[in-house]
Amino acid sequence: MKRPNYWKGLRVTLAILLFVPILLFFVDFAGVLPDQTSKLLHLQIMPALLGGMAGILVFQFALALLFGRIYCSAICPAGVLQDIINRLFCIGKKKKDGTRRFHYHKPLNVLRYSILGLTFLLAIFGVVELCTLLDPYSNFGRIANNLFRPVVMWLNNLLAEGLARMDNYTLYQVTISNVTLFGVVSGLVALGLFIVMVIFRGRLFCNTLCPIGALLSLVSRYSLFRISFDRDACTRCGSCERACKAEAIDSRGLTVDTSRCVDCFNCVSSCPKGGLRYRFNPPFRKATERTAPASEPETRKEASARAPISESRRTFLATGATVASSLPIVSAIAHEVGDPAGHGKQMRLRRRKGHEKWPPIVPPGAISIERFKDICTGCQICVTQCPSHVLRPTGLEYGLDYMLKPRVAYIDSYCNYECTVCSEICPTHAIMPLTKEEKATTQVGIATFFIDRCIVKTEGTDCGACSEHCPTQAVHMVPYEGTLTIPRVNPDLCIGCGGCESICPVRPERAIIVKANEVHKFVEKPKEEEVKKVEIDDFGF
Amino acid sequence: MKTSVIAGAALSLNFDKLRAALASNTVEVEQAPDMVAVMGGEPEVMLDKALEALGGIGNYVRKGQKVVIKPNIGWDRTPEMAGNTNPKLVKALVKKCLEAGASKVTVFDHTCDNWQKCYQTSGIAEAVREAGGIIMPANDEKYFKEVSIPNGVNLKSAKIHEALIEADVWFNVPVLKNHGGAKLTCAMKNYMGIVWDRRFFHQNDLQQCIADICTWQKRPVLNIVDAYRIMFQNGPQGRSASDVATLKSMIVSPNIVAVDTASLRLFNQVKQLDLAAAAHIGKGEALHLGTTQLDSISIKRIKI
Repeated sequence: MKRPNYWKGLRVTLAILLFVPILLFFVDFAGVLPDQTSKLLHLQIMPALLGGMAGILVFQFALALLFGRIYCSAICPAGVLQDIINRLFCIGKKKKDGTRRFHYHKPLNVLRYSILGLTFLLAIFGVVELCTLLDPYSNFGRIANNLFRPVVMWLNNLLAEGLARMDNYTLYQVTISNVTLFGVVSGLVALGLFIVMVIFRGRLFCNTLCPIGALLSLVSRYSLFRISFDRDACTRCGSCERACKAEAIDSRGLTVDTSRCVDCFNCVSSCPKGGLRYRFNPPFRKATERTAPASEPETRKEASARAPISESRRTFLATGATVASSLPIVSAIAHEVGDPAGHGKQMRLRRRKGHEKWPPIVPPGAISIERFKDICTGCQICVTQCPSHVLRPTGLEYGLDYMLKPRVAYIDSYCNYECTVCSEICPTHAIMPLTKEEKATTQVGIATFFIDRCIVKTEGTDCGACSEHCPTQAVHMVPYEGTLTIPRVNPDLCIGCGGCESICPVRPERAIIVKANEVHKFVEKPKEEEVKKVEIDDFGF
Repeated sequence: MKTSVIAGAALSLNFDKLRAALASNTVEVEQAPDMVAVMGGEPEVMLDKALEALGGIGNYVRKGQKVVIKPNIGWDRTPEMAGNTNPKLVKALVKKCLEAGASKVTVFDHTCDNWQKCYQTSGIAEAVREAGGIIMPANDEKYFKEVSIPNGVNLKSAKIHEALIEADVWFNVPVLKNHGGAKLTCAMKNYMGIVWDRRFFHQNDLQQCIADICTWQKRPVLNIVDAYRIMFQNGPQGRSASDVATLKSMIVSPNIVAVDTASLRLFNQVKQLDLAAAAHIGKGEALHLGTTQLDSISIKRIKI
């Protein structure tokens, strides 16, 4: 008898409740949603791992141990995105080509646990590229930021143009400025990969490439609540197997691979007889029952071939990977200690390239380039939320280890003096929260003035655009020739906000450029001068 | 024969009227002064007095006209910091234009800081909305249209905000400030907020380009200089309240060079600055935009 499937309703509801605000937050170029929306991002596992947020990790592992990989179906936006892709793909198709097109496959354990092991081993040694590249949440972020957001902005501009004809300026034209080629490519690659994998193999990404999926699988295989067959009700029709996106149901062997099951509950719905149920069914209780399928008539050779080796290998891998996965936090601590080594690396990079390319400027609150590189997962939420559009995703211009992470680029805007948005929303705390006071005194770099390029010297005309935009007057105008004045930088006041660089009219190389501090410094707030009471009683003319 | 008699009578009558006018000294009312300077009141009160002296807003705004008010909203600064035009002045002016029958009153500035923060922190967005005007964005190149500047020396064309291009009448409403580049920012420098590409200005002799843009054929009917608070140092952005002096003044004139010259004189009572240093004013005079010789124009001074 078919049972109503509340679980699926719950999963879909939870997924919508989390996915919609996250998606909107990523395309919200105008800062309409409150910054607190970022709290939803704090549930993500990879940022929590790299940021060393033990509370969130404990919660997520407990969740997986209790209920299985709920994370993959409801919390991870990349998981939900894959479900949406699947849904779109199924539109207008017959069941056998659409929702019921899947078949059971053996788990690719060697592959997925090797990727997991490699990802975390490298992370321990301070190489976080795989974390950046494979983290599902960050991939979603890059898709949303680099592909969806520009489309939303473009649509906004169309609408704004229409409204403007009616003198309505609720919507306004936005300049799509902080989209980079490499960012778009990264989004396209990730989206393309998701689409192809979903169409051909469902949640294959989550069960092979995704290190978070592999990590959770180590826990979820022991989950207390799980989907299992009701042998009496099951007619071995195979509907559930064909409905399983994770390709984890073997309808002939009557097994559900809980390590790959993402708790979507589609199988439960698919069964006309109520032959699959999600229930409290801890693995220890099932010990005897578990071997039962093996004693059933073996219909597949592979099933018997799988049984003997799988147990020992799984246990080995599980133990190894669990140990490995617990290490990142330790490594994070180790990194704090081993910082000087990191600097050496940075210095080498710079010397090799001479002084032509300075290191990237990292946002205030990042503390140092090294620290930022090691924690940022490149989800790019800061890029979408920066009101000044000054953060830009990098390509390979600062090396593989800075790939896809944001840098502060003073191309046509600068970091607003009292703005702290990026520091408040960063889910990894790669950008630590700052107060306005702290922000206004954090020196991310120092303006460097090249007098020989300056208009005042080369053209002999007034300019002063740099000083004009300097919020601390670290860049100030001093007498030059005749009535002309020329900029001078006071490094003790400069916070590296880039007001000067962004506005300098000199091309191709600007006359004032902010040079990054590899480790951020702090400056004194500009001294408050005494307020003089000025009184006049005449016009003066 | 008959007509000549009537003509003679008319002539004698007119003569009488003129004599009467001279005797009662009311000829001033008939002829508006070239400039009005007001001191000692709140912005809206000073605006009232100035417009009254100039014959009322009706002299400048007719029924059904599209009006643009261009204040300085360049910076993310509160009104107390004098980084932007006083919102009370903008509000009062929007109201006056609407009372005069303007079909719409639009306010914008191409800001330096983030435009939304500028519009909000300056208090101008709210002031305009309260008065019933339209606050329009100027943050994207799409809002600007190319026009030719035939009389410019270095600047031959510029992209100017579409609201201004479509307007029948516009008011230039700057705040008086020190400026790191142009030395002084007042009515002429305020023009830089109507154009999109300011980099060209800085690349091609800032002072000349400021004068050039002011030769654009559509001139403001009035330049209304807000000198209620002035920023006398560290301009145009300012660092703190110590950069600000409260002068409670306002200078109004259609003559842009004269209004900047007078504003500089007012400024000089707080901080010395040579007219030659603020070179755009002299260059403006050379382009026949007005006069720096304040003796040659009629000025009405009002103290409240």
